This record gives sequence, structure tokens and C-alpha cells, in this order.
Amino acid sequence: MMSEGSRSRLLHHLLRGLLLAGFAMLILHLVRSGDLGLYIAPRMAGYVKLSALGLYAAAVYQLYAALQLWLGRRGAGSAYDCGCGHDHAPSASLWKNALLYGLFVFPLALGFLLPDTIMGSTLAAKKGVSFAGAHNVERAAQPAATPQPTAAPEVPEQDIAAPQDPLDAKFPADVYTETYAAHAKKLYLQEQAIAVPEQQFIETLTTLDLYRQHFVGKTVVVSGFVYREPAMPKDWLAVSRFAMNCCSADSLPYGIMLRADEAGSYDADSWIEVSGRLGLDEYGGNEIMILEATRIAPIAAPESPYVYPDYEFGFEP
Amino acid sequence: MLSRLLLRLAPSLLTLSCLGMVIVIWFDLPLRIPAIDETALHSFKIIFLSLILEAFPFILLGVLVSSLLQVFVSDRMIQRLTPRQPVLGVLFGSLLGVIFPLCECGMIPVVRRLIRKGMPAYIGIVFILAGPIVNPVVYSSTFMAFRNTPALAYSRMGLALAVTITIGLLLYRYMRRNPLREHLPQSAMAQVVGPGHDADHSHAHPANRAQGRFTAILGHASDEFFEMGKYLIFGALLTALIQTSLPREALSGIGEYAWLSPIFMMGFAFLLSICSTSDAFVAASFAGSFNSDALLAFLVFGPMIDLKNTLMLLAVFRTRIVLTLIVLCFVLVLIGSYMFHVAVFT
Repeated sequence: MMSEGSRSRLLHHLLRGLLLAGFAMLILHLVRSGDLGLYIAPRMAGYVKLSALGLYAAAVYQLYAALQLWLGRRGAGSAYDCGCGHDHAPSASLWKNALLYGLFVFPLALGFLLPDTIMGSTLAAKKGVSFAGAHNVERAAQPAATPQPTAAPEVPEQDIAAPQDPLDAKFPADVYTETYAAHAKKLYLQEQAIAVPEQQFIETLTTLDLYRQHFVGKTVVVSGFVYREPAMPKDWLAVSRFAMNCCSADSLPYGIMLRADEAGSYDADSWIEVSGRLGLDEYGGNEIMILEATRIAPIAAPESPYVYPDYEFGFEP
Repeated sequence: MLSRLLLRLAPSLLTLSCLGMVIVIWFDLPLRIPAIDETALHSFKIIFLSLILEAFPFILLGVLVSSLLQVFVSDRMIQRLTPRQPVLGVLFGSLLGVIFPLCECGMIPVVRRLIRKGMPAYIGIVFILAGPIVNPVVYSSTFMAFRNTPALAYSRMGLALAVTITIGLLLYRYMRRNPLREHLPQSAMAQVVGPGHDADHSHAHPANRAQGRFTAILGHASDEFFEMGKYLIFGALLTALIQTSLPREALSGIGEYAWLSPIFMMGFAFLLSICSTSDAFVAASFAGSFNSDALLAFLVFGPMIDLKNTLMLLAVFRTRIVLTLIVLCFVLVLIGSYMFHVAVFT
């Protein structure tokens, strides 16, 4: 006959085993469905997958201990009085236990029952979209560009294959913005339109913004979700992406403004690919880049909707 | 346990939220109470689960290391390895993170185990505070995030060391009681790894020592996982609620008030509760609207004290010592960030 104490211990082992297995299966489920990337950056995904293994091992142990107790083996619970000093004995209060296990069930229920969605406008509004690339890079050794009241794109005067020296003068850099200046020269000299790639999304936007007056009139191609703020004019929208470092909690939205007559016809959070000529305008008291749309195409949300900081930026040959 | 904790925390949390309200009213910040709609729930889910999933590997590593220490490393070895001399001890504790770059979620169970095994408590606490900052992983991510102001990366390390060394010496001088929550029969602990190990344990297969140790490790680890996990999940829940309901523009307006901004950024770091390996990038996104002293305060205070790890600290340490640590960190980081600002950045 099982005593009251060991019956409650059995229940605890069983519940803990199931919860641990539940978390392991949640990770497996996210890996299988390919949705793990919605929560965790790729460089962290490996560790999370490994932790599923650890959770499984612990679950197996708990279920094994429950089985031993159920079979009435005396030694089964003995790991509990090993003298290592934690409060192994679970609390006796029913509602405390309910609260404790409820706390663990809650994320599992959310994970399995709610569909996985991608971060969009709602969170972007809370987190605050940056329209100027990374804030932390400041212009080097150059007075701020004089704001241009009209957004009319001006073609830079020395557009024809500038020799080395004028190019350096155009893209001044200190030791910290060197990589951006190098990137800017590459983009400036290239014949075709400037694509803002997923791989270097933030880096490219930052480069364009740092030397924005020299890129005015260039064609830029970018894709992202549609984001709007109440303060934006009717014919504006922002093409945005979330940039993630480790997990969604530390991700931040980056975007570039777009002006188009039909801007209002694109719903927030729908995905578009646009090309447009780069101009300058003012928003919230700051000079910002804005694309004058030449082409807008609705696209499907990409497999990996987020972008990541490129740790190789500036180190590639 | 949890209800006691709630009762204990309620007054301070209410005071904090009142203070928040006062700030909101004072500066006339836009604050919208979110309606509970589907998108808000989805946003909450994304942040909540991502915080938990991200912490799992570290918390598992933490409880695993803690169990391995418990089962395989004797108290005597720990006592022999830790320096006796207090200044050396504090230095040792503050630089331990260079060798063991654990993040704060994984660190707390390990340190509790080390203190139980005879490491002086002040060294353990110094490790908890300094470890998440003074380590190579965090240094390189800070350096990356602040490419154009590397002084911020050096200052982060320097200020963290200065603050933790000060706290360590204060603790050495003034902390007399065992800061851990439970009183333990020391003799029982010493027995665990000794020759009497199997006799104490009387496992189902007393003859099979290896299996006994293996199950002991799994047992410890999974129990400690639940012990730490509840605070992690509760902390993640609060953090996700805050992140999905508090618009950031409401916050960054405060950047204009220079004298207030370091205090504000520390409060923000406390509420955000993000891992020290990625907080530099979040700090970088504020570089446009905040001075370097506010950013430094964010970068040094956040990893030492935040919502998530305060809950975890309270699980392990006495309330009084946790509150003392919070106040000490707050004051020292505030003074330190101002001094660094004057000395390094102007």
C-alpha cells in the first residue's frame, strides 16, 4: 500500500516529468515547423536544440523515479534525502503547487495552442523604428548635411567616375567608420541599383544614411513589411525589418521611408519589395532618407523574416 | 513561497509603479493602456517564449555544472582553490567570469553550490555581479555594438570591475551572516562526496556507484531546474508584459533631461531583463538620444541587477542582502558612470 507521502511524491515526479518532456517537445515542434527562427537567432538555435536533449534526459529521470515509486521500490525516492541541502520536499499546499505548475504550463499552452506569428507593426510601434540605420555610428569629420527643404532628388555634380581623391573626400571616415566608408564607395561606384540585402540590412542602411547626400538620386531596392506611424503623411509608408541579436526580446525594427501615391493601399504588415530613387526629407525634426517609389510589388513574407547583424561586416575581402 | 514573495515585493513594486506614473504625468508622456487584442497577445507570446527559450540552454548548463560540482568536487578542493586574502579573493571573484563566461541565469545555481561548498560568500556574490559583464563574450559584443566608441566597451569592463570590487570589500567587511536562504547542517554536506556517499544514498542499486552518481546528477539538476525555472518564467512573463505594453517613445523623451537619464536607463535595464551578451545592441539603439553616462549605467547595472535575476537572487539569498546589493549597485553605478563620463568621454 502506498503511503500518502509517496503518492504525492509520485504525482510530483509525474508532473515534472511531463512538463520537462513538454518543453523538450515544444522545442522539437518549433524546430520541425521551422518556426524556431521566429524566437531565436540562428547563432543561438544550436544551443536551444541541445537544451531539448537535456530536458528530455531530465524528463526521463523524473518519469523513471515516478515509475519506481509506483512499483513500490523503496530506494526510488532516496535521491531526495541526499543531504545536499535543497528543499527537495515539495510544498504541501495545494494552491501553491497549482500556481507553481500552472506557471510552467502557461508557456507550454501558449506555445502549442497559439499559432506562431512573426513580429510586425504592433511590436515595431512599441519598440520604435529606426529610420537612420544604427544610431551608434556618427558622422565622421564632416559637418551635418544641410537639410534640403524639398525632397527633389539632386544628382551629385561629380557623378562621372570620380578619381580616388575626390572619392575619399566624399566619404570621409575616422577609424570607426572606415568599414562604412569602404562600403559606401563600393555602393557609390556600382552601376546597378543598390540592393539592401538581408545579409547586411542594417549595415547597408547605416552606410546609406551616413553618406546620404551622395546617394541622393540613386536607385535603392529593398523589401520588408509595411509599417506606419500616425505622424506620417498619407502617401508615406516605411519598409521595415526586425533585426535580431539573440532572441525576439532584444530585436529592434529598422526601416526606410517610402513615398508613393498609392502608399495607402498597402496594409500594415503586408510584405512588399520596392525600388525607388533616394531623396531626403524631414521627419520628427530629423533629416531622413526617403525613397520615391518607382516600383512596388507585393511579396510573400520570406522564410526568415528577420535580419541579423553581420559580424563579418568589414572583415570580408 | 511565491505568495510570500509577492507580498514582500508588492510594496516596492507599487512604489516603483507610482514613481513611474509620477514621471509620466510630470513629463506629460504619451502612455496608452493596451487593449487586450489578438495582436498584443501574439506579441506577448513571441517575447515571452523567446526569453524562456533563450534562457533554457544557460539555465540547464548552470544546474548541470552545479550538480557536477555537488557530486564530483569536494568541499576541500573548493576551499583550497579560493584565495584566503580578501583583496585577492575579491579580485578572483570578479575575474572568474573570464574563465567561465556564464550568463546570469546559469550563474546563480552554480554560485549557491560553491558557497555551500565553502567558497566565501562575498567572493560568490562578486562573481554573480561581475561574471555577466567581465567576460570575453560580453566584451566582444559590446565592442561590436559600439564600433565607433570603443571607449564604452573599456569603460563598461572598468566600471563593472570597480563596482564589484567595492561591493566585495564592503561585503567582506560588513557581512557577518550566511547570506543564503537556508541554514544547512554543514556536516551532512561534507558527507555527500566522501567515502560514505553510497551509504548515505542507499540507491536502488547500492553496488553500482556510477549509476548512483548519474541519477544523483539528474535528480539534482532537474529539481534545481524547477526551482530556478519558476523565477525565470515569472520574470519572463513580467518582462514580456512590459515590453509589449510600454511604448519606447514614452521612454526616450526622458533623454532630454540629462541629470535624470542614467537613473532612467538603469530602471529601463532593470525592466528589460535582457541577457548581457545582447544588451549592448539595445543600448546602441539608444545612442542617438542618450549620453554615454546613461548608456554606461544601462550596460553595467542591467547585467548585475534586473527583474528576472532579482527574482532568482531572492530564491537563493536572503531578502536583506538582495536589497542591499540592489541599492549598492544602483548608487555605485550611478556615481561611477558619472565619473567615467567626465573622465573618459568629455
